[in-house]
Amino acid sequence: MRPSIGVIGRILAVLLIAILVEFGVSTFLYERASRFSVQEDEARRLAEHLSISRKLLAANAPPRRAQVAASLTTDRYAVRWDDDRPTPPRVAPSLDEMRHQVLVWEPTLATAHMSLRLNSPGRNQTVAGEVSLPDGSWMHFRTLQPIAGLNLLGERLLLALIPAAALMVLAGTLVRRQLQPLRRLAQSADRVGRGSGEHVPEEGPGEVRRVVGAFNRMQDRIHRLIEDRTQALAAVGHDFRTPLARLRLRAERVEDRPTREAIQGDVAEMEAMVASLMAYLGGSEEPEALVATDVAATLMTLADDAEDHGLDVRYVGPDHLPARVRPTALKRALGNLIGNAARYGRHVTLDLEQTADTVTFVVEDDGPGIPPDQLERVKQPFVRLDDARGRDVGGFGLGLAIVQRTVEAEGGGLTLSNRSEGGFRAAITLPRR
Amino acid sequence: MTAPTILLVEDDPALRTLTARALQENGFLVRPAAAAPEMWQAMEAGPVDLVLMDVMLPGTSGIDLCRSLRAKSDVPIIFVSAKGSETDRVVGLELGADDYIAKPFGTRELVARVRAVLRRPAMERREGSEQGLVRFDGWTMNLGRRELASPDGAAVELTGAEFDLLSALADHSGRVIARERLIELSRTRLGDSSDRSVDVLISRLRRKLSSAGHDAPIVTVRGVGYMLNAPVERS
Repeated sequence: MRPSIGVIGRILAVLLIAILVEFGVSTFLYERASRFSVQEDEARRLAEHLSISRKLLAANAPPRRAQVAASLTTDRYAVRWDDDRPTPPRVAPSLDEMRHQVLVWEPTLATAHMSLRLNSPGRNQTVAGEVSLPDGSWMHFRTLQPIAGLNLLGERLLLALIPAAALMVLAGTLVRRQLQPLRRLAQSADRVGRGSGEHVPEEGPGEVRRVVGAFNRMQDRIHRLIEDRTQALAAVGHDFRTPLARLRLRAERVEDRPTREAIQGDVAEMEAMVASLMAYLGGSEEPEALVATDVAATLMTLADDAEDHGLDVRYVGPDHLPARVRPTALKRALGNLIGNAARYGRHVTLDLEQTADTVTFVVEDDGPGIPPDQLERVKQPFVRLDDARGRDVGGFGLGLAIVQRTVEAEGGGLTLSNRSEGGFRAAITLPRR
Repeated sequence: MTAPTILLVEDDPALRTLTARALQENGFLVRPAAAAPEMWQAMEAGPVDLVLMDVMLPGTSGIDLCRSLRAKSDVPIIFVSAKGSETDRVVGLELGADDYIAKPFGTRELVARVRAVLRRPAMERREGSEQGLVRFDGWTMNLGRRELASPDGAAVELTGAEFDLLSALADHSGRVIARERLIELSRTRLGDSSDRSVDVLISRLRRKLSSAGHDAPIVTVRGVGYMLNAPVERS
């Protein structure tokens, strides 16, 4: 296992990257503001206005300067005179590039300590600044209209949003990557017990790797357990059938007919129980392939077979319905449903229903049905409703459990209900593939 | 005609004795064997008409034994399996076994299966053990696996009796087969609706073999019998 920084380390790394990106982008924003340039005529107009205003203010005596300044205020620039040195500007991006443009037109302003800064209290971006007069007093000015091309607000918003969005994407991707092994673990955990288990690659942060490793080992143990149990029971089933075969042949030699038939009945019941137990426990040992099958013909055959055994089972569905199914498992499941229906009802009806993406096999009888509160319980293995459906029923109560498991493994469903007109209805719905 | 000789391969001594007795009482000569080596010895001791073999033998598996036996001889084979799984049945039939019987079986079922396999003509058996594909009107019958596929490739489930009836019709395609002869032919496999009249089987077959707007190619000749009215191709 290669060394790995843990989940905390990774989250800190993500945070660090986020902070660095934010820092970098802010720096870039301010950098950009200082390099902001305006149109040449804009710079020239400002340069001339400042230069003339400064000369006029300097030419007037200090007491008159406020008045002169007011008259110099146009609808474009506000000018104000102050005796004192201006307070240092608050945090506001300075406009170096724009200042340079203005100084190109009026180099004298350079000696007048002209400063420019971005003034953005409201929605409109304006520029403010100061110029010193020869006697050390100061002229303050600011633009009254947003300077053409100075759409810094939008740009700033954008510039603030882009890093935020980029950060979220970046952080999301990084966190997602860290959680990828966990997601795979969840998917694999969902599949445990269904078919072959696969190992989840041990990747990601140390904590996650330890969980994945433990999971893989647990999965191995579970599979070994299931396999051992299935093999043991299959062996038992097999070994059980040989004495059953002997018993069956021996029973034929019993002279007394009632005794002979009773023994034969017992043997048949035991054989049915072994078969259902094997079907229930050995279900996953040999996954059958999906075969394109005319399931209508399958139902016809099941109905005909039952009819040949003296039962009233009718198929009323369409003549043909091709679907991809596992034929043996499907036949066993339907056979269980038909067996139940024929045991409790007199007439059994088989039907097929289809939608664009499902096929439903319906088995209906006219028997007593089962109590509504037991509808879900009877799907459990080893559950028998002796009181409700007659006491003479043999078997382990695995019939519906086998159906339920077969259908579930196919991503389908088993629906049990009492029919409103009396009788019981069992429906297997399978996805079409 | 001398009684047919059956080579019985079964590892359980008591069951071997019981099965042998059941067969003997029904007029067969039985040569018992406990496992593969004894089976080969028994094969050399004299002609054998049929081998009845447990799939789960100690040592060699019955499947392997069946394969090597089939490589040497055309003798009919019936598999006995305690697993009762469909896969076993299909694998057994594909390897060249002629039939399959599940443990526990009764004397009647056993004797019926043995007689049916012995009655089946050797040629049909060989076809069954090879590719054995029969095609007519778009439909494909796989004689070995006893499967029928529709023109669009979907497997169509047939009972044993229906399959035998259809293969009898295919064997004599274009010719009318009398009802009595068909009853005889379709009863080679017992246990599957043996007492159903041919007419019922034919109507079931027709329903399964029909396709949208297209009737099954089985023609009724009133008072005589039935005919498969389609050219048959074999491979």
